[in-house]
Amino acid sequence: MSNGSPRTPADPAPAALSAALPIEAGFNEELYLRLNPDVLVAVAGGSFRSGREHFERFGRAEGRPVALPAHVVPDRVMVTAEAGRIAEKPRAPGANVDHIKISPSGGIYVAGWVNDTQDQLVSVDLYFSGWSISFSAANLARVRRPDAEEAVGLLSPHHCGYWGFLYAARRLPANVCNAVVRLKSGVEMPSVVMVEGVEDDDLRSVALCGLSQAAYTGNHYFAAVQSIDAAIGTQLLAFNQMLTRRAANAPYVEYFGCANASYKASIIVCLFGKTEYMYVQQAMFARQAGIGDYEFIYVCNSPDTAEALLREARLSGLMYGLDVTIILLNANAGFAAANNLAAKHARSGRLVFVNPDVFPRDADWAAKHSAIVAGQPAEQTALFGAPLFYDDSSLMHGGMYFELDTAPSFTQGQHQETAILRVEHYGKGAPPDTVEYLRPRPVPAVTGAFISTAREWFETLGGFTEDYIFGHYEDADLSLKSLKAGRPAWLHDATLWHLEGKGSHRQPQHEGGSIVNRWLFTKLWKGLVEAEVLGPAPLHPAFGVSK
Amino acid sequence: MKVLLVCMYHPELVRGGSQQIAYETFEGLKNIEGVEPFLLASADHNTPAMFKSGARITGFDGRENESLFLSQGYDYVWQKCPSIHLAQAYKEFLERLRPDVVHFHHYMTYGIDYLTLTRKVLPDAKIVFTAHEFLSICALSGHMRRTDGSLCDRASAVRCHQCIPSLPPEHYFMRELWMKTHLATVDVFTTPSRFMVSHYANWGLDPAKFVHVTNGMQANTKAIETLQGKRNRFGFFGQMVDVKGLHVLLQAVGLLRAQGFTDFTVEVNGDNIAFASPECRAEIEAFVVAEEALPADARNVVFNGSYHHDQLRARMARVDWVVVPSIWWEVFCLVISEAWSFGRPVIASNVGGPAERVTEGKDGLLFELGDARALADTMRRACTEEGLWKNLAQGITKPASREEMVQGFMQIYTGKVLAAT
Repeated sequence: MSNGSPRTPADPAPAALSAALPIEAGFNEELYLRLNPDVLVAVAGGSFRSGREHFERFGRAEGRPVALPAHVVPDRVMVTAEAGRIAEKPRAPGANVDHIKISPSGGIYVAGWVNDTQDQLVSVDLYFSGWSISFSAANLARVRRPDAEEAVGLLSPHHCGYWGFLYAARRLPANVCNAVVRLKSGVEMPSVVMVEGVEDDDLRSVALCGLSQAAYTGNHYFAAVQSIDAAIGTQLLAFNQMLTRRAANAPYVEYFGCANASYKASIIVCLFGKTEYMYVQQAMFARQAGIGDYEFIYVCNSPDTAEALLREARLSGLMYGLDVTIILLNANAGFAAANNLAAKHARSGRLVFVNPDVFPRDADWAAKHSAIVAGQPAEQTALFGAPLFYDDSSLMHGGMYFELDTAPSFTQGQHQETAILRVEHYGKGAPPDTVEYLRPRPVPAVTGAFISTAREWFETLGGFTEDYIFGHYEDADLSLKSLKAGRPAWLHDATLWHLEGKGSHRQPQHEGGSIVNRWLFTKLWKGLVEAEVLGPAPLHPAFGVSK
Repeated sequence: MKVLLVCMYHPELVRGGSQQIAYETFEGLKNIEGVEPFLLASADHNTPAMFKSGARITGFDGRENESLFLSQGYDYVWQKCPSIHLAQAYKEFLERLRPDVVHFHHYMTYGIDYLTLTRKVLPDAKIVFTAHEFLSICALSGHMRRTDGSLCDRASAVRCHQCIPSLPPEHYFMRELWMKTHLATVDVFTTPSRFMVSHYANWGLDPAKFVHVTNGMQANTKAIETLQGKRNRFGFFGQMVDVKGLHVLLQAVGLLRAQGFTDFTVEVNGDNIAFASPECRAEIEAFVVAEEALPADARNVVFNGSYHHDQLRARMARVDWVVVPSIWWEVFCLVISEAWSFGRPVIASNVGGPAERVTEGKDGLLFELGDARALADTMRRACTEEGLWKNLAQGITKPASREEMVQGFMQIYTGKVLAAT
């Protein structure tokens, strides 16, 4: 065996060795197999009929040993062949392509495992009828596969697993695939894999679930972020953008209540999964003095709840009589795109983005919010948040700031460092009367659970960035866009309850989306944050007054 | 003055204390000059024959001023009815009737938000709400009895979550806000027992909006002849559900038998075992089977089944004592009134409504709530202590009549009594 493809008895010998060579006198079959254990395995596995056959076809050219060294020195390594000439055949079929999933819009997902502890993975090549693709090892995510580790007898954890994702943006016919896992030694491990056809949304979920639920060596989160950095992250974003555009296309819009020609503000609520809080939220806001100045826009990312939502909206109109617009999307467009779309349907100059699990804490919240908008300088109300409180009365949110987390990782002796931004809340869990977190002030960011913004400013900023998948980090992104454009986010005294995380059902793919979003957020904002907006007391001049 | 009484279930379809009191009030108001009472009672899947295709609110059995609200798909978690058609029908019913007073005796099967809807449709009407339990406070059937069997005197997000862990604490926080939002539309709350006010005040409602109006019932005009001799016949009257504590009484019977004391009888009068928990139901039904397997002369317990109000006198005539073994707060206990109206002393659990009404040694006996051994001891004493029954029977004061109760409500309807002020 030499460097190159694994060979079988049917393979021709290399050209240089094709000339018939005499067999060494006294060739000892047993000794040859003892001195060349990989050949022993290959013979046992049926690749060669005997050690002699191997020797004739390859061993001689490789300089394989046929006899014991003349002098054996105890307790010393005895070299029996010229270094580098012998390429040991992997001892077991060390790879598999478990899944190839292709979606109608050209999303391609591949996953499998390879034992490349001794021989580095180069690529996973997929050949279909009429097209092919090669996933290079550098662009594949590597994860642990404890089942493969056990199967090949690895004694320590190793990222045997791999998965790749690519968005081709075209329909790709595929039923069956010739898959080849290539190693650096030239070894190729072919297999025939039946292709699984899945819907585009489902393929996104498959990839994101894989990302969030995979096992890794080292810190799970950092390893996950690192695994998509080379290529997968960008591919997932592109794929998600396509899905977002599609989901937000041709929404169903229905108005309830008596439309008021003039509103002071539009409260926009993005729903996903749970619709029951819409009705409860309406009951809470309906008590507010001055709520007639507000319209409500509920934009729903869950078409499966459409019937229930419309029913609740009708009932709510009868019970509470608030002006409500319902926007139904045909799929989950994510927080950013859904809110941006709802903003376009707003009939006021003030947009108030509110989570479904946010409720007014004070009986005069509506009047207080209107007074802030009317009474404070425009630069302080261009975009602002408010203190939010948990159900146990402690502070949930008093503005947000950024930290940078770094972690080294060690793979095959290599040291790599990953840095990702982390969003923190001022005073999270603090007693409700902790003034330092409640006072009006500019802050690096405010949570998307409640954002009040001048519509014109929101549009100047381009709205929420729609690249983020599902939800998370769009709020910090918007805040930093506002800061960069000259108006930092503010915190004002218009307190609300926030039952954080209770307004929707969170699933593994959302965790995967969150990982991608954090990776994206870091790529977009690490430079600015590191320079001027790091920590609870950032250097940026906008926050001078906050210290 | 038009008074609309809203209650959960028509008492002739599903028996229960709150609907009985609502109906007594309805009947009593008919005798008040210048008052025109109306009754809106609900029916649901328990009485499917009442439903008429496409109808939401119908009449009831040809009776004047009695209507049925045909509840469907009720959401017991949020205590609301999801149907826009039912809400619309209720709105139109109010608009048509335009009552001056809407008196809720329950919101279950309608929805707590029907209070808000009532206020919206009738901004000037007086909304009165009589609390017959603690459903607004307690998501666990409104009994304020924790799943470990202890009585609860303070609801909170975490404590409620401990009782019903399938929902997070935030849900109960939200539920409280939700309930209070709608209860804020109520002008006057009434409770049949005084101790209830403190529960609601502790929960955050304004005690000044509460008025104590005792439950009343139609006066008994035919007294029962009092037998002489042993006073060893006990009666249970009520629903055979967990909180009524029939199983505690049956356990006490078992203890007395184990002591070799068998010279007594227990007559069980009640129904609705379908509403009991599977465990409670199994315990009661197993007792029934075992009891019926005994020779007739060895049986201590007789199960008489459900009874109509008209049969009450006959059932009461067969017992000397009425046992109220409830294992919750038992906010009023109409059975005590019924027992007293027939001159029967009560043996009751020592908390809540019974403790407020029964005076130990004067007109009845109290035992430790849920303690079958304490009940067994009390029953044995009741059977054996010379003169005890007579003394207690003489100490009984006549329970409040329907007229007294109606007058109490009239004071509220007419604004002569506005809560504590």
